[in-house]
Amino acid sequence: MNKLITIITIIFSISVSSQSVLPDLNLNTLNGEEVSIRSISSDDKIAVVSLWATWCVPCIKELDAISEYYEEWKEEVDFELYAVSTDDSRTIKRVNAMVNGKGWEYNILLDTNNELQRSLGASTIPLTLIVKNNKIVYRHSGYSAGVEFELFDKIKELK
Amino acid sequence: MNRFLLLIVFLFSLITTSQNTENIFGSFESNSQLLQDDSALNFTSPEDNFRSNNYLQINYDIGKFSSGIQYESYLPNAMLGYYPEYNGKNEIASYFVNVKNEKADLTLGYFYEQFGNGLIFRAWENRQLGINNSIKGIKLNYNFSDSFSLTTIYGQQRNGFELNEATIQGIDSNLNLNKFLKFEELDLSIGASYVGRYQDNSTNNLIPANVKALGARLDLYYGRFSLNFEAITKDADIISNEGVIQSNKLYDGTALQLDLGYSKKGLGISSTFRRLENFNFYSDRLAEGNIYNQQTLSYTPALTKQQDYLLTNIYVYSSQPRLVVNALENRSGEVGSQTDFYYTFNKKSFLGKYKTKIAVNFSYWAAIESDFNQDESYDVEFIGNGNRYYRDFNFELKNRWNKRFNTTLTMLDVIIDKGVALGGPLGVQGDIKAKVGVIEGTYRYDNGKSSRAVIQHLWTKQDKKNWVGLVYEYNFSTSLNLFIADGWNYGSTDKIHYYNVGGSYSKNNTRLSLNYGRQRGGLICVGGVCRYVPENTGINLNLNLVF
Repeated sequence: MNKLITIITIIFSISVSSQSVLPDLNLNTLNGEEVSIRSISSDDKIAVVSLWATWCVPCIKELDAISEYYEEWKEEVDFELYAVSTDDSRTIKRVNAMVNGKGWEYNILLDTNNELQRSLGASTIPLTLIVKNNKIVYRHSGYSAGVEFELFDKIKELK
Repeated sequence: MNRFLLLIVFLFSLITTSQNTENIFGSFESNSQLLQDDSALNFTSPEDNFRSNNYLQINYDIGKFSSGIQYESYLPNAMLGYYPEYNGKNEIASYFVNVKNEKADLTLGYFYEQFGNGLIFRAWENRQLGINNSIKGIKLNYNFSDSFSLTTIYGQQRNGFELNEATIQGIDSNLNLNKFLKFEELDLSIGASYVGRYQDNSTNNLIPANVKALGARLDLYYGRFSLNFEAITKDADIISNEGVIQSNKLYDGTALQLDLGYSKKGLGISSTFRRLENFNFYSDRLAEGNIYNQQTLSYTPALTKQQDYLLTNIYVYSSQPRLVVNALENRSGEVGSQTDFYYTFNKKSFLGKYKTKIAVNFSYWAAIESDFNQDESYDVEFIGNGNRYYRDFNFELKNRWNKRFNTTLTMLDVIIDKGVALGGPLGVQGDIKAKVGVIEGTYRYDNGKSSRAVIQHLWTKQDKKNWVGLVYEYNFSTSLNLFIADGWNYGSTDKIHYYNVGGSYSKNNTRLSLNYGRQRGGLICVGGVCRYVPENTGINLNLNLVF
């Protein structure tokens, strides 16, 4: 138990001094093109990164909720949402059908063997990040109704 | 191990002297339970009634180098239902150093990787399932051009905190043909892979020391259509169960998967066919049949819709790729298909006003029809008419009635073989037929406050008969919520309530959840891989910190 407390103390002391950035990874699009995750928020671009899966009910609720306002919000602030599917081979073939079937206009990236999820330390999804110049400026895990408005308020602050 | 740490330290001292951007990051996850006796469940808590799984991961990146280390502790014991090898242990479980440029990506130490669909090879981690089958060794990925890349792996697989003695080699290649075809709407790529296992046979020449699997795949996207195909063959090997060889014969194995898709805005259809005949590949020839999903090289999850509600995930399917030849049962594998359909009504239509979205899923999985001979050989059909293992039909209807209120209606009709659901031989004990209905409503107040309620019912005449389930969740803000839930098995003689109360707090880099209640015994499934959890009662605490 004491060991545990020591570890937690160490983590807190590191976390104060460290700055959260996105790891240097390439993810594939649905058509197999590679996208560097570090390029999506370079040059002051604002990117929302949402880790989701076709089998994750709260993830889909969140993406459904945002999609209601996505066009409207993008007219107000210039940002892009990257919905990173953590589906593995069991469900990955469902991603395209679901994204289109739901009429989502997001950029879809695939994290098939959960490299990004692992390096972000996300034990659970949904995980939603706002990233600017590769720095993670907002992080939220889990979904409850209305969290999408909090997300947009944060995006507006970065404008 | 020590040599390896020295190497890491040496590399660091080399690179810290250069001028590069540094970055330290990581995470800490702790999952603990405090168990208590519960006479209603017939559950006696074990002597060590506090159990805790902990993971600390620290990464350090500098310039083109990155590195990481993961420490795991299972003290005083691992949580109920986890791989017993972990009990009472705490160690540095894995570490790696990686260097990469535009062309090459080299990892030394423990690595994760997947070839194609993962049918032939997948090394991955899932802490909820207690799976970490990473390989310790060397991995090199090289991009010869934009169109052609090669990945090679060599090493030994992790088993608990140890390594299995067998060495694993693998090559995966990917060739994108778009450049050569020059059709604008067409994307075509092909791939081939090889995975081999060398395991000493102590001069027993009847057991092969080398077993290899070969695979090929094709991915095609043409406008709204997609087609993906993968086929694997595996050399003849022994079959085993929980450490014991099951037959004097050697058997080869095959896997086939075909996916077809069509989608446009508002409509998506995807369909999968898969056939697995004696298709298991483990890093130890005697690991087949272990119930903890350990030491796997191949990844053959159940291809059915993953369910999330209290009562919809009572009767879940787990894939049956094994060849079993014994006095109790004879079977050679699994064949079947599933289809998904998603549809969003046009905004201008009547149903579109209420943001109506439909999702339908159908799946059917059965034994491959086979005839078994006296000498333990068998004749097999490609599909045939084997015992049905699982069939389900799902329908989901989502509506948003106004800015504050939305609902989801789910209906599930499932037939599952008793052997698959409850254990024992497959295809001879009869079926469980169940229907489940779920209504969920969410109401949003201002300032991040919201309420969510779920009412559900399960009807079945078999097994434990009918259930009713209720969940209510209140979100005080987008960070804090509390819930109460009950699954009441009122149709059974014991009429047990599986109650739970709890809550979670999530802010910035911290997530904390706490709950108290009864865990229904059964399968916990993530991504089609399931872990058996015995019935228990107690407190669960989960903490996740990211830095």
